[in-house]
Amino acid sequence: MHALIQGLILGILTAGVYALMASGQTLIFGIMKVVNLAQGAMVILGAYLAYQLFTSWGIDPFLAIPITTGVMFFLGVAIELLFLRPLRRDEKSELSLLVTFAVALLLEGIMSVTWSTTVRSINTTYANSSWTVFGYQITLVRLWAFLLSLLALGLLFLLLNRTRLGRAVRASVQNPESARLLGVEAERVSAIGFGLGSATAAAAGSIYGLLYPFNSGSHYDLISRLLSIVILGGLGSIGGAVAGALIVSVSSAVVASTVSPIWSEMTFFVVLLLVLLVRPQGLFGTAARGSI
Amino acid sequence: MRRNRLRRLGSLAVGAVAAATLVGGCASSGSGSGSGSGSGPLVIGASVSLTGDFSDSGKAVQRGYQLWADTVNAQGGVLGRKVQLKIVNDASSPTQVVTNYQNLINKDHVDLTFGPFSTLLTIPASQVAHRYSYAFLAPAGGGPKVFQQNLDNFFFVQPAPTTQSGDVFANYVLSLPADQRPKTAAYAELDDPFSAPIAESIRQKFEAAGITTVYKQVYPSETADLSPVMAALVATKPDVIVGGTQSEDAYAQVKALVQLKYNPKMMYLSNGANSPLEFPDKVGAGNTEGIFSSADWFPGSTAAGSDDFTAAYTKKYGGTAQQIDDSSAEAYAVGQLIEAVAAKSHKVDNATIIKELHSGSWPTLLGDLSWSANGAPTGSFNLVQWQGGKLLPVYPSSIAQATPIAAKPAWGG
Repeated sequence: MHALIQGLILGILTAGVYALMASGQTLIFGIMKVVNLAQGAMVILGAYLAYQLFTSWGIDPFLAIPITTGVMFFLGVAIELLFLRPLRRDEKSELSLLVTFAVALLLEGIMSVTWSTTVRSINTTYANSSWTVFGYQITLVRLWAFLLSLLALGLLFLLLNRTRLGRAVRASVQNPESARLLGVEAERVSAIGFGLGSATAAAAGSIYGLLYPFNSGSHYDLISRLLSIVILGGLGSIGGAVAGALIVSVSSAVVASTVSPIWSEMTFFVVLLLVLLVRPQGLFGTAARGSI
Repeated sequence: MRRNRLRRLGSLAVGAVAAATLVGGCASSGSGSGSGSGSGPLVIGASVSLTGDFSDSGKAVQRGYQLWADTVNAQGGVLGRKVQLKIVNDASSPTQVVTNYQNLINKDHVDLTFGPFSTLLTIPASQVAHRYSYAFLAPAGGGPKVFQQNLDNFFFVQPAPTTQSGDVFANYVLSLPADQRPKTAAYAELDDPFSAPIAESIRQKFEAAGITTVYKQVYPSETADLSPVMAALVATKPDVIVGGTQSEDAYAQVKALVQLKYNPKMMYLSNGANSPLEFPDKVGAGNTEGIFSSADWFPGSTAAGSDDFTAAYTKKYGGTAQQIDDSSAEAYAVGQLIEAVAAKSHKVDNATIIKELHSGSWPTLLGDLSWSANGAPTGSFNLVQWQGGKLLPVYPSSIAQATPIAAKPAWGG
């Protein structure tokens, strides 16, 4: 019972980080109908940037987030302008899979050359601290990561629902033709949307680097997990990304702590399969164009 | 992560072995084993991973080979012949490593070959060398499949097969008086050929001696988060924790235990904890105290040539003795063996090397080495323990620089 509850706590705290990563993925899909296979590589790039700021200048990874998100926002915009915009609109969804995978490989190569393939981790003074609550350990880094992920998701929610830009983004998601007729510049929204997705990857990367060791090849495992989360939650739905992340993290942690880590991934995929059998569009996805 | 790529490379290895067999089959059997008995430089070829997954360790191997060559050349060479190294990059690819050794032997006509890094590359490479009757001394690559090939030209230049490296910890624990031995043990094992078997070998010895297994879990290499596994392990409150680990998972186990505030009476990690630089950096220096691991070479070793190696290494590459990678020492030992055979037999050809190394034991900086017919070394590793921020050999007593601390100090202290 103790292991079960401890696993539950770990799963919930970790879910926030995955929700943040997946929110960028699902945002990009919602706006552009692009499945961004480079999202995992962008998270790892965000982790490397936070690592570099921490080791070179002693900047705490949490405090580094405004810097890394700024840098990665512009990188995302550049990727959209250089690699995605030239694609023909009617083939964009299919070709973008290849293009974003190529971007992932490009980023992996750049990271390998810059930081080598040695596994890195960000070790702050509080990395191993934890609080004891009713006999259970709550890791400080995970708690902060969870709270910060909630904050970042909240800011994203406000941006999408309380700003002019957000209205343009939502309009583009719901009905791109009507949005264009009403004066929304679809291409500008796409660039900003991709930038925002990259920025969330940067924020999640800082936290990821605090929690797990990583190297340039870490994005392969990450992207498969992210795709599973957004498909489970429903492509294009940020609420779905949060729900998907919760299901993935909690089921993985609980099964790993009570049964076996070998079965934890399997359990999740069984859940994914069952959900897709009942709701092919995912938990929060809509069959037609929907909302974010 | 990285291990996914290793798996992918694993499938490539099968192809590489097939390619090696095919090419070897087409070549004239037994053609030209490098005689090494001529005049002029003694040319030694080696394929080393200078890029790719194994590049860090591959470069350490290269440093070891080069340092030995420089050292022996400064003393006049081997039987008066200057050593000339021809090192080529295999990019950590089991396909490329086959091509490299084919070229080294058939195109460059090197006199001798030294091994690459990792079991993955050693298996196909040793088959190429065997096809041409070259002695194949490998400083890394001690997985079970290497020895299952039963190649008479192969010699693994470490004290014991990798999967037996933890036996020294079991021997130490079982040497303690009964009232000081742990009563219960937990095992967390990485599912790979170098990690889980080490812990399993310890478990068999412990169970035979009456130490109860309260938890055993094998985790796949893809496991991103070990905290749930360690939470379940902690719930069983074991006296001793045995980690069949590589590197990142070793760090993750320690960090999870610190976060879960559980301090076992003893802890052994098969790998990861034996890295003098990486381990304290990754888990925090205060959390290393009392943790056991296994090693073949350590600074301050009194084994043959160890002091000279340490001095030459720090002079050539800088840094401190503690910063020397084991792989460099193992590669250096390969050269020492060639020197020793030449000194004894006054020959340095492949047939002589194979014949001589199969008889008797040979002094190196890793200790005295000897091999069974399949190239598996017959010795044992040393038990090392973190004490006062240093990784010290503590068992067996013949090599110990400190007394083992049986009761692990608290985390952070």
